[in-house]
Amino acid sequence: MSAMLEMKQVTKTYGDGDATLTVLKNLELSVRGGEFVAVLGPSGSGKSTFLSAAGALLTPTSGEICIDGESLQGKSPQELTGLRLRRIGFMFQSAQLLPYLKVEEQLLYVAKQAKLGGREASGRAAMLLQRLGLWERRGHYPEQLSGGEKQRVAIARAWMNKPAILLADEPTASLDLDRGREVVRMIAEEVHSEGKAAVMVTHDERMLEWCDRVLHLENGVLVGR
Amino acid sequence: MFLALREMRHAKARYCLIMVIMLLVSFLVLFVTGLARGLSYANISALENMPAGYFLIQDDAGHAFRRSQLGAEDFAAAKEAVGAGNAAALGVQNGTITVDGAEVKTDITFFAVDMQGLLAPKLAEGTGISNEESGRAVVDAKLEESGVKLGSTIRDQTSGMSWTVSGFVNDSSYSHVPVVYINNADWQTMKQGALTGNNGTPADVPFNVIALKSSSVQAADLAAQLDQVESITKKQAIASVPGYAAEQGSLQMMIAFLFVISAVVLAVFFYVITIQKTSQFGVLKAMGTRTSYLAWSVLCQVLVLSVISLALSLLLTYGMNMGLPDAMPFQLEGSTMAFTGGLFIAVSLLGALISVVRVTKIDALTAIGRAGA
Repeated sequence: MSAMLEMKQVTKTYGDGDATLTVLKNLELSVRGGEFVAVLGPSGSGKSTFLSAAGALLTPTSGEICIDGESLQGKSPQELTGLRLRRIGFMFQSAQLLPYLKVEEQLLYVAKQAKLGGREASGRAAMLLQRLGLWERRGHYPEQLSGGEKQRVAIARAWMNKPAILLADEPTASLDLDRGREVVRMIAEEVHSEGKAAVMVTHDERMLEWCDRVLHLENGVLVGR
Repeated sequence: MFLALREMRHAKARYCLIMVIMLLVSFLVLFVTGLARGLSYANISALENMPAGYFLIQDDAGHAFRRSQLGAEDFAAAKEAVGAGNAAALGVQNGTITVDGAEVKTDITFFAVDMQGLLAPKLAEGTGISNEESGRAVVDAKLEESGVKLGSTIRDQTSGMSWTVSGFVNDSSYSHVPVVYINNADWQTMKQGALTGNNGTPADVPFNVIALKSSSVQAADLAAQLDQVESITKKQAIASVPGYAAEQGSLQMMIAFLFVISAVVLAVFFYVITIQKTSQFGVLKAMGTRTSYLAWSVLCQVLVLSVISLALSLLLTYGMNMGLPDAMPFQLEGSTMAFTGGLFIAVSLLGALISVVRVTKIDALTAIGRAGA
């Protein structure tokens, strides 16, 4: 299967002159479809920078990034916004659901943004919510959900537009161990059933049993152990 | 719309409160506007209702009718230029009258007009008067409150002349006092008394201005052709009625302030809400929502709020108008209402622009690596 995310010689430096700080240094990564990769590293190791670059939110100083075979180089901000909408699913720390949308509307909103037809969108939303055990909760507001449920809604929202890759930024940070492991397991299940890829950034080594590959971000490069 | 409406549905109390404020402000705007229009109409309705668009006036009179003095030659020239039916001489004179059978004196303004001409009063009640018959007058219906009835005799305090009231007209005030229409024959008698020693023929008695129903070019040409005469529009003439500008000016200032207040209140409210939602906007942008969509969402909310509160305040104004006593001058035409409402919405949207600018500046990058709600 072709690579869903391809990062070649990606370097990101901040500042200039003597005060440069190299966060990513010729970083190489290739994630295939159906693969769930965990990226570990302590705080300040550049996990956020890595994820922002992979998620087309941050332009690297040098190097090339391809999402599902499509290079990010030379794209305008509008084109990158469209690419994030259709090709990338995001999960953030503490879910970041919109407080004023019901669970089902959280999903329909992203579908609407991607101009997905109404019937197709509600069908897919129903399927995802059922798979994640949220169907009974579809008419609730986020404030009525537990932390684990919120993060499950975030999983469903991230997969809604059938992205090539899901990028998760510490999805378990605000959850206890059991809830966190459950969320990670569900991400893994979705990766395998959708045949797409996922990259999860975390600092918690207890969350790795469902991951296909574990990489460590050290001195600006990814290393396996 | 999707986000805008759902957010308002979720935070009903918050948006209802701001709507109530906007409702009150827009109601006040409409009410003061109606009051200003009503006062203006009560002040100069006699001028406002004249079918003339332009006036010829002496150029050193400063647009004030009573200071101007024009003669028969000017009138003849005007009639020749625009046609006899489209020019009319007007004599204006302040007066105080006593009404036979009533104990009070009343201030009035005499309008001396050609009873067959352009400025002839449009009767609401009674019979008209001819140009020849002397001693008869048509008066503004407001004089009824001073005890004037059809057939009453009114007496001018200064000249001692008296008239029998033969008819009433509606909405005819000048400088807040009712107008008494008399014919030119009586005007000449009245003025000859004042101009003793002049011993001229009746035709020599001057009047104040000439009303013209003509194009602006015709009026300007005519003014240029005559000595020491200028042409002014009806609007200019109204603005120069004593007290008119001062009265309207203070009301206009209140209205202007209300517009500014409504813009600022709305701008501050939405700005604070936008700042509160900075991280939400960052997440939405990271997920691929276009900035233009978010900007529209903010504008949509402002539009919905201002349109609903405006509609409610229009209803409120309408109801208030029904319940107001007649003595309170209040007038709000459809065109004024539409203009005021349109301006209110435009000003609201203008106030929302700083929030829109704020939204466009939020960086999607803030979504990554950040904890919090």
